[in-house]
Amino acid sequence: MLFSEMSAKDALKTTKERMSKYQDEFLERLTAIEVDAHWFRRVFHTFAASFLFYYLLPEGELMNDIKIVIPIILVLCISLVEYRRLRGVLNHQRFFGLRNYEKNRPASYLYFGFAVVLLFLFFPQQIAIPCILCASFTDPIIGETRYYLGKKKAYFIGFFVSLFFFLITWYQAEWWVLIPVSIIGATGALVGEARKLRFIDDDFMIQMLPAILLWFVWQVTIAFNIHILPPKIILPI
Amino acid sequence: MEIKNSQRKEIIRKLLLRLELWFAPLLLIVPIIVSVVFLLEWYTKGFTSGSSAYDGELLLSMLILIGNIFFDIPFIRSIRTLKGKQ
Repeated sequence: MLFSEMSAKDALKTTKERMSKYQDEFLERLTAIEVDAHWFRRVFHTFAASFLFYYLLPEGELMNDIKIVIPIILVLCISLVEYRRLRGVLNHQRFFGLRNYEKNRPASYLYFGFAVVLLFLFFPQQIAIPCILCASFTDPIIGETRYYLGKKKAYFIGFFVSLFFFLITWYQAEWWVLIPVSIIGATGALVGEARKLRFIDDDFMIQMLPAILLWFVWQVTIAFNIHILPPKIILPI
Repeated sequence: MEIKNSQRKEIIRKLLLRLELWFAPLLLIVPIIVSVVFLLEWYTKGFTSGSSAYDGELLLSMLILIGNIFFDIPFIRSIRTLKGKQ
């Protein structure tokens, strides 16, 4: 039967059946997709480098308040989700990519988010940016290279990757500032990553340890009336 | 028809609970968008006006882009492999 000969009702019915068939096929295909938890965790880390967008946000009285309130609300929300998961209200299985040891303690993404918010609110961007980059890239790079090259070589590579992040963030500083600051920062990031603590995740330590070390260096130099911070590398829109 | 509809609803409910499926595109696309924004900022405010104050944004955009692509490729491959096995 030609389409022109069909009644409007038949055409509608055929279209509906076809749509239904396509929908079933699409759902079937979606169900068949499986995501690898290992690479999912790695990509979650590298995704965090996008948080640097925060420093592009414009400045202003209202905007500055929003820049404080929104990150705090977000961390409180994920804290609530984690609290509910740990209390057993939310099923652990629903949280894709969690490690076994995270079953009975807050998951690493909460530590990660908490550290990022602390960096945003209490540290200058010159210190915060390389620390966030270390958590975003050094951590997964060490994780991957450890698998192929062993622990020592992985940490060695991790140190130089972190050093690179501090060098590019402080590239406008004087060389006598740039080199020691980069070495201190990279060492802090490496120790933060390598030293495993029972209750504090390495995603928190890899960011906070270099940040605190550099903050002390910065404060000590200010006490001697020396200003080591280079100009900001991200300027608001 | 009724049974088929309820089956379909059940599949959709299960898919909605698989957070990784909804997060995966976000994890891949957002860093690329952010790096492009940094790049545009550098180009419009730094490169065209000859200001070196925005060079840091160029460095960061490249870093975010290359770093993410470096890990995105094995991630996308892993999805395909698992899909292929099925």
